[in-house]
Amino acid sequence: MIGALLRAQFLVMRRTLGAGVALNIAGGVFWYGLWTLGAIGTFSLIASATEAKLPGVLSLVLAGVCVYWQAMPVISSTMGSSLDLRKLLAYPLPHGRLFAVEMLLRLVSGLEMLLVLTGAAAGLAMNPAGGGVVPMAGALAVFILFNLLLASGVKSLLERLLTRRKIRELIVLLTALLWVAPRFFMLTGYRTPMGKRALDSALAAGLPWSAAARAAMGQYRMAAWLSLLAWTAAAAWFGRAQFERSLRFDTAAALASPPESQRRASFADRLFRMPSRILPDPIGAVVEKELRTLARAPTFRNLFFMGFTFGLLVWLPMVVGRQGPSAHEDSFLSRHFLTIVSLYALTLLGQVTFWNCLAFDRSAAAFWFVTPQPISKVLMAKNIASQVPVYIEVAILTAISLALRLAHGWGEVAEAIAVVATCSIYMLAMGNVTSVEYPRGLNPERVSGGSGSSGRFQTLVLIFYPLALLPVGLAFLARYAFGSEAVFRGVLAAMLVCGALVYRVTLKSAADTADKRREALLTALSTGEGPVVT
Amino acid sequence: MSSDAILVRGLEKRYGPKAAVDGLDLEVPRGSFFGFLGPNGAGKSTTIRILTGLIPFDRGTVEVLGFPLPGGDLEIKRRIGLVPDESLLFDRLSGAEYLEFAGRMYGLDRPAAMERARALLDLFELPAGRKMIAEYSKGMRKRVAMAASLVHHPELFLMDEPFEGVDAVGARLMKDILLRQVARGATVFLTSHVLEVVERLCDRVAIINEGKIAAAGTSEELRSGGESLEDVFVRIVGGGHLLAAREGLEWL
Repeated sequence: MIGALLRAQFLVMRRTLGAGVALNIAGGVFWYGLWTLGAIGTFSLIASATEAKLPGVLSLVLAGVCVYWQAMPVISSTMGSSLDLRKLLAYPLPHGRLFAVEMLLRLVSGLEMLLVLTGAAAGLAMNPAGGGVVPMAGALAVFILFNLLLASGVKSLLERLLTRRKIRELIVLLTALLWVAPRFFMLTGYRTPMGKRALDSALAAGLPWSAAARAAMGQYRMAAWLSLLAWTAAAAWFGRAQFERSLRFDTAAALASPPESQRRASFADRLFRMPSRILPDPIGAVVEKELRTLARAPTFRNLFFMGFTFGLLVWLPMVVGRQGPSAHEDSFLSRHFLTIVSLYALTLLGQVTFWNCLAFDRSAAAFWFVTPQPISKVLMAKNIASQVPVYIEVAILTAISLALRLAHGWGEVAEAIAVVATCSIYMLAMGNVTSVEYPRGLNPERVSGGSGSSGRFQTLVLIFYPLALLPVGLAFLARYAFGSEAVFRGVLAAMLVCGALVYRVTLKSAADTADKRREALLTALSTGEGPVVT
Repeated sequence: MSSDAILVRGLEKRYGPKAAVDGLDLEVPRGSFFGFLGPNGAGKSTTIRILTGLIPFDRGTVEVLGFPLPGGDLEIKRRIGLVPDESLLFDRLSGAEYLEFAGRMYGLDRPAAMERARALLDLFELPAGRKMIAEYSKGMRKRVAMAASLVHHPELFLMDEPFEGVDAVGARLMKDILLRQVARGATVFLTSHVLEVVERLCDRVAIINEGKIAAAGTSEELRSGGESLEDVFVRIVGGGHLLAAREGLEWL
């Protein structure tokens, strides 16, 4: 049964990857190559550690491994490998077998950690303070088992929590912020004595990674093994119990929308209707529909919130630094902070609104071809709708930047808006073409997973982003070369006009392509997922 | 203007070496209730997708309501109501929002679209609140699709399994509405695997098998010799598929 499941998954992956196989393999080689380097680093760190420092270093490595392994279900809660129980429960698979597959998937989703652990084991074997191969291999094997069981439980628990939309969005947002928070604190030099105490506590002997480290080194043998086995038993109970609860979980009930107050609904309704008061149908109707859809798509909402949270956390430390904002006032980043964070937000939102604008429509995209409206108008309306959240984002970032004195006056605000407008028009121009050339349906319930597009398309986007930014880059270059604000504005205006012309040409081309290859386009947008969600 | 709502000659559509539609000839008179039958994979849905302009075809001529395909796409789309096999519904809209949106896409102004949407929601007993279509049951989704096909008062209905997943009350309502549409002069072209429904509703029937029309005529013409439509259908599309004719399936 497990074989049949894996084969079904393989067949779906083979069909889904298509021409992108080579790129996916290249990406895999790069990713695991990096982790192999990490494993070599771990090896040398542990092999060269003194006897006094070895327990601490090894505990720290194992703690890192554990955190990564447990974080994987959070990171890949929707984009990583996970059993879609809804598809498998219909079959007579014993729960034990399903749990075995689940454990296998946890192992596969943490292959990087096996590399690191191999490096750690080799380093420990080379270190004279190591406790011998047998206790080391045994302790690390039990530690891997502990991680797999715990990760399975964490994943099952998260899976249920994540079914509730608001919780899911909050967790994903917090996770994204947690990833950049350490960097933020390091760059801004923010340290507290509490942090040091927390690190010491994290390496206390009773914790699973410390117990595994000491068992692997042959130190406090009895106590370390008892502690490690107790943790593993607890993880086994937790993992299986959470897995069973997930099997019995009523997803439909959790997905049901809570009743909304009439007042709130009517306010939201008035907001959604605003564009169609200005724009004629069918453009007004499509813009209104798009805004409703985007606002109700967790995938989009997550990207929107990340634009002014994650974006700020990424760029703020570079401006504030260790010496405070005044020390960096003259840097390029500091003078154009608002423009840069706005552009960053634009690129985040572009993943689902520009480059793959039919993604959320999925099979319903056929609607655009059965109604008596030209597809060019639909694309144009989608483009207009995509600009609304962009400028809301810019407004939020402006308010934050002005409040934190990171933007100095309305000149910078005007610059940010003009730059975003110029980049947007080029991104929309290219995005219309990519949307019809490389369409792929995207589940709006997914709170991560980017554009959901193929590897080939993702590579193209990496080329398109610099292309879309090039006109703006030219304007900045002109300002730098001539030292004139007027030249900057003139070049930017010229680029905007040029962008409008490019947009017009590509819109027609995209509409023609959509008409010509509508069958392939609709097939691509309707493609579903296999038994394992990837 | 042609007296046929649909006129198809020598229609071919291939997927690689396989012909999904293979030299299909079809005439659907205006004002008729036309049943389009066939086994799974016979080419019914492909034909409907071609008639709606969703997919191109390789060979043949197609005229819908007197307009040729390709070329007359926009004129045809304005006049047809479609209930497809796959959903055309935007999951993140409520039923009311979707019906209003569909109306506006067919050229109704907003107040008129809203008015009709309200009336259709009421008629089909669909939730008037903000519950998203994503949360609807299969039957409710079919009812929304049916309601959307009516919102712009079309001349021709193309319906692929419209009653699938709909409860008896909903199905009865849909049948009554379709009969009323035919009575006002509209044409209904529907596929269904429920032959009793076709037998009761349709005045004309065509059976497609392996991409070709295997039989066509009025229900009475097809059922000569006291056979039921099911008997005729099974005889035409291949009795060899019946269990009694298969060997090596004793275990079943």
